[in-house]
Amino acid sequence: MNLEKVIFGFFVLLAATLNFGFFIGDISNSELHSEYELYAAVVVSLITTVLKFGDRTQIGAVHLATSLVADLQLGTAAIVWVYADYVSSSGLDAHAMASIVSLSGGALLANLVSVVLLVIETVSFHRR
Amino acid sequence: MHPLDRPRTEQEMWHDRHPGRRYGGRRPGGRTRTPGEPMEPLPPDHDAAATNAVITGATRWAAISRFRQAGDLPGPEGGPLSSRGVDTGSAPIFLVMRRMRTPLIVLIIIFGITTVGLALAPGETDEGEPHRMGLFNAFYVMSYTASTIGFGEIPFPFTAEQRLWMTASIYLTVVGWAYAIGTLLSLLQDRGFRTALDMRRFTGRVARLRDPFLLIAGYGHTGQRLGRAWDQLGRSFVAVDVQPTQIESLDVDQYFADPPGLTADASNPFNLKLAGLKNPNCQAVLALTDNDDVNLAITMSAALLRPDLPVIARTISAPVEDRMLAWGTPTVINPFDRFGDHLRMALRAPASFRLYSWLEAGPGSEQPPPMSPPAEGLWIVCGYGRFGQEIVGDLLAEGLDVVVIEPDPPSDEFLAAELDRPVEELPRVIHGEGSEPEVMDEARIEHAVGFVAGTDDDTTNLSLIAAARRRNPDLYVAARQNLPTNQSLFTAMHLDMLLVPADIVAREAYARLSTPLLWRFLEEMPQRGEQEALDLIQRIKHRCGQYMKDVWNVELDAWQAPALAGYLDPDAVSSRTRQRRGIPDGRRIPLTIGDLFRDPDDREERLPVVPLMLLRDGEATIAPPDATELRLDDELLVAGTRVAQRELQTTLLSEGTAQYVVTGTRMPESWIWRQLAGRRLPQ
Repeated sequence: MNLEKVIFGFFVLLAATLNFGFFIGDISNSELHSEYELYAAVVVSLITTVLKFGDRTQIGAVHLATSLVADLQLGTAAIVWVYADYVSSSGLDAHAMASIVSLSGGALLANLVSVVLLVIETVSFHRR
Repeated sequence: MHPLDRPRTEQEMWHDRHPGRRYGGRRPGGRTRTPGEPMEPLPPDHDAAATNAVITGATRWAAISRFRQAGDLPGPEGGPLSSRGVDTGSAPIFLVMRRMRTPLIVLIIIFGITTVGLALAPGETDEGEPHRMGLFNAFYVMSYTASTIGFGEIPFPFTAEQRLWMTASIYLTVVGWAYAIGTLLSLLQDRGFRTALDMRRFTGRVARLRDPFLLIAGYGHTGQRLGRAWDQLGRSFVAVDVQPTQIESLDVDQYFADPPGLTADASNPFNLKLAGLKNPNCQAVLALTDNDDVNLAITMSAALLRPDLPVIARTISAPVEDRMLAWGTPTVINPFDRFGDHLRMALRAPASFRLYSWLEAGPGSEQPPPMSPPAEGLWIVCGYGRFGQEIVGDLLAEGLDVVVIEPDPPSDEFLAAELDRPVEELPRVIHGEGSEPEVMDEARIEHAVGFVAGTDDDTTNLSLIAAARRRNPDLYVAARQNLPTNQSLFTAMHLDMLLVPADIVAREAYARLSTPLLWRFLEEMPQRGEQEALDLIQRIKHRCGQYMKDVWNVELDAWQAPALAGYLDPDAVSSRTRQRRGIPDGRRIPLTIGDLFRDPDDREERLPVVPLMLLRDGEATIAPPDATELRLDDELLVAGTRVAQRELQTTLLSEGTAQYVVTGTRMPESWIWRQLAGRRLPQ
């Protein structure tokens, strides 16, 4: 067992689960989506990205790419939230909430790819 | 690349039928190979000699190039482990990413905790109502707190709980930033990181080289002399040397261009490739390090990776020379051997040698004084090492009496084998130090005509010369200078002939590479006799002065000399062009060398240019006379000033100038004037 692999797997999975937890629920109902959960998803996603830095293998490069996509989507979702909450005159309405949740849905897809890659890596590790 | 014509084995045909599968996976067991039996049964019509001929014969390079295509050799250090080679370009980025991983994670965690804490900490509005800041405001406050841009309490003054959390946050974030920035700064100082950056810059610059360039491996004294001369010609080169100081001299010294240099071991093929060995603009590879083994390795890599490139290698050992010559056709320069050749040429043909050394020394060199070594009498050679043996062999071959002074000479049998002579014909060897008077007496220094100070120590050589001159002031003195830094000492001695190994190699490499025809001229000229050499020296001195000017090629083909093509061969240009130039059909206006070198401003004057050699259909004529008629595709080797080179260029390119120079009539240059002139002048 490798502690580095444990930490890596932990964060990759945590990013996906937090993202999923935020995403699930009626897309336009703001009461079903917690801002703290989104915040946690962004932070964990950033940590995952940095953990993937410096791996020069092909699978490492795809890992990093998926993480960057997740960061981009989650970051955009957070910015849309802040804009709707503090700047926009209409406030955090159903339209804003739908776009936030759908952005996090995109990030969820990227995170799922990341998890799939992790599984592939683990399986192929045993082959060698 | 064509596949070799040999019968396909059963295994290969199986792979064609089942791509991607393992051969023999389900092979029925049974027969095992007995020791010594061939791995695969040979075909019944197997011909071992023919198979070897495929590999060693004319298709050898095809076979080798298959390996070149398949991948590149991994290096012992710094080389890639993958067969595709490493992408050095993105190395610094990945290095930063890897090193910054922990500090960035620490920073993110600190930010995450402090922001969420501040967002949750109970606050109150101006009116005293409870209020929570929210994640966005908390993140904003944390951002400016962490980077210590400023301090303020928004959107309402903080409560005690919030201030408590802020106090902890300030210290936490400062630690995080300090850690991250400190790691980044130490990374910038890191030697590995700087090497990666330098390497990236170097490979980028080599890849961007669009002009032909030389790859100089080994940038010591020889390499630097050649590099500077090459730079003076306005051409580019790339230097590789294992010593950082030699490569740093590229930044310190004055060069017109900014030549790229790499501090790396040139015997590693990977480093040679970084330095542009595979670049199509690479013109030649020069192996000029001090180490014979490294030079051999460079010769080998160049022959394997770029068999089409000319290679010039330096060595002082005959066995290494033989091993180098096994790799294709490199030019191997052994300075001791070359010095012996020069000495023989100077003994036999002093005027030819003067011209030879004048031209070989390159532009700006002064005409060597007329002087010849005494061709009969006793020569004394001090030092019987590799250099001494070469010199003694050459002096004996010229039929001179030789006495050798050496404290610790090799055995007679060894020398007989080295000099390729019977033991009885070996020169007399006096055991002792040459500077001692008794030894000088024994060698009969008063009766000697020539003296060679050839030990591997400069101080010894200088004291030997001083001692010999005191006894016999009329001696012809030749000496070996080992360290280039002692140049001024040897110059002050006013020697008749001086060997500086670094110079000999640099000069010959320069003569071979700078002008394609120059080396051919230097090879052919000594056979033409003394009088011709003397005449040429006089003509060069008369036209160009005491100092050698530029030497360059003039190629009289339709591409390089479009304005003259019509005169050289009327069929080379269209009849319309001929008419425009006023050349009647069927009649040829002869163009001689004398016409070509007329001054475009006043054709009665002559450009300061001396034709050294005319090359026609592979046949060379040394010092062609002015009345020689030129033809299309002739090549001329000429010496002259740089101004004359430009004037000659106008004659070659501009139709009007060419017509004036050849026929004496001025042709209008512009279309309107040509129309007017055409109407006025009958065709």
